[in-house]
Amino acid sequence: MSLDVADGIARFLTESAGRPITLTNVAPVSAGARRQNIVLDAHDGDSVLPLVATIVPGAIELAPITAEAGVRQVAADHGVPVPRVHAVCTDPAYVGGSFLLSERVDGETVPRRVLRLVESAGIGDRVAEQLGAAMARLHAIDPVSAPHELPGIEGANPAEAALRDVDAGVAQLLSTRPVFALALRWLERRLPEPPLRPAIVHTDMRNGNLIVGSDGLRAVLDWEGAVRWGDPMRDAAWPALRMWRFRADEREIGGFASRDRFIAGYEGAGGTFDADRFEWWKVLGTLWWGVGLAMQTAAHLDGSVPSIVMAASGRRVPEIEWDLLMLVRPRIRSA
Amino acid sequence: MPTAPSGSAKRRSNVTTMQYRPTSAELLTALAELLDDVLLPALPPGLQHQARVGANIARILEREVRLGPAALDRESELVRALVGTDDDAASLAQRLHAGGDEEFERGAWEALVAIAHDDVAIAKPGHDSWEGT
Repeated sequence: MSLDVADGIARFLTESAGRPITLTNVAPVSAGARRQNIVLDAHDGDSVLPLVATIVPGAIELAPITAEAGVRQVAADHGVPVPRVHAVCTDPAYVGGSFLLSERVDGETVPRRVLRLVESAGIGDRVAEQLGAAMARLHAIDPVSAPHELPGIEGANPAEAALRDVDAGVAQLLSTRPVFALALRWLERRLPEPPLRPAIVHTDMRNGNLIVGSDGLRAVLDWEGAVRWGDPMRDAAWPALRMWRFRADEREIGGFASRDRFIAGYEGAGGTFDADRFEWWKVLGTLWWGVGLAMQTAAHLDGSVPSIVMAASGRRVPEIEWDLLMLVRPRIRSA
Repeated sequence: MPTAPSGSAKRRSNVTTMQYRPTSAELLTALAELLDDVLLPALPPGLQHQARVGANIARILEREVRLGPAALDRESELVRALVGTDDDAASLAQRLHAGGDEEFERGAWEALVAIAHDDVAIAKPGHDSWEGT
């Protein structure tokens, strides 16, 4: 199949350029549930362009791929490190879906390897600061300048919308689990007001969606979930979830470093860190992950995606319950 | 908190005399080892993850066979102490979902942590070494 895809991409590049472009070193690098990434070298006469093709079957596009390319461009214009977009194709005639061609940025993306590199190069603090700075730059952008197809409603409270979504998910799939009920009530009582400065929010900026080299953070990947008018602390909290630390539990931000390094980077680049909101979104994100696991289990059980991996997700719910309990631990009141 | 299994036949945790050998737990361990040590190295890379997940499930089930009955007893005791009936966790979930009683929630939190210790001992031993932030 990847050969057909390579043919399609070569044909697209050739037709766009009006001269023959050929591909070598075509290799799939990851096949997620939703999208497929393929690395390739495009030969245009004597020049060779190292690229990555991201292929999205039309039926499961979250945001149109043009919007994803657009938000990446806006982010790049404001100093967020992202791979440059080389081309966007929405005509399914070439590979059977939309695809995006990006410049290839060298470095590690696989979380455990990223952590090993960070450890051996001694750059955990730096990566956490760079991640904070990248987020602050993204959050400083006026959401009006993001592609209008991105989800998000101006004037709405993003926390309220997110809580409504997880509440519905729990009601549907986890209504018999006391920990989820307890965590929902915790969130409800502490529901934050709409953010003072709603922002473009990436929603998945964590270890696994970052390219890291020995010099630190090189690029932020996977912009498919970006939203407008979001709460910037949603982004900040996400890489702090325990599952994105990949067992380096003691380093809150992605297994890289503690929170203070991240805050230094975030505030140093003009962001305003809000600890209460950050905690709220950590609980929300953890709960949301639990709902996601339950959805995978349901997809296995109802036969829509029969898979041992999806089935196993159900037995990961106790991990989320433990994490939730630790995050919503009742405080001894001092006042 | 009682640690011994109750007398209920369904939940007895240490029935060994009438079991075939290998026991369920022994077979599940053998299955995990087959997947992890024998089949996985021989599989093409694209199938290895599924085999690893399968082996992990066999290990979870082995722990569930060993630890599940006593854990279930403890869970029932704790839930009963909270909601005052012989009801299951679902009724506790309902009561918590209704909200409005923070004092009750504090007590529930303690009990749920005890239950989660047991659940994690089956699902992912060691996961409860982390206590927040």
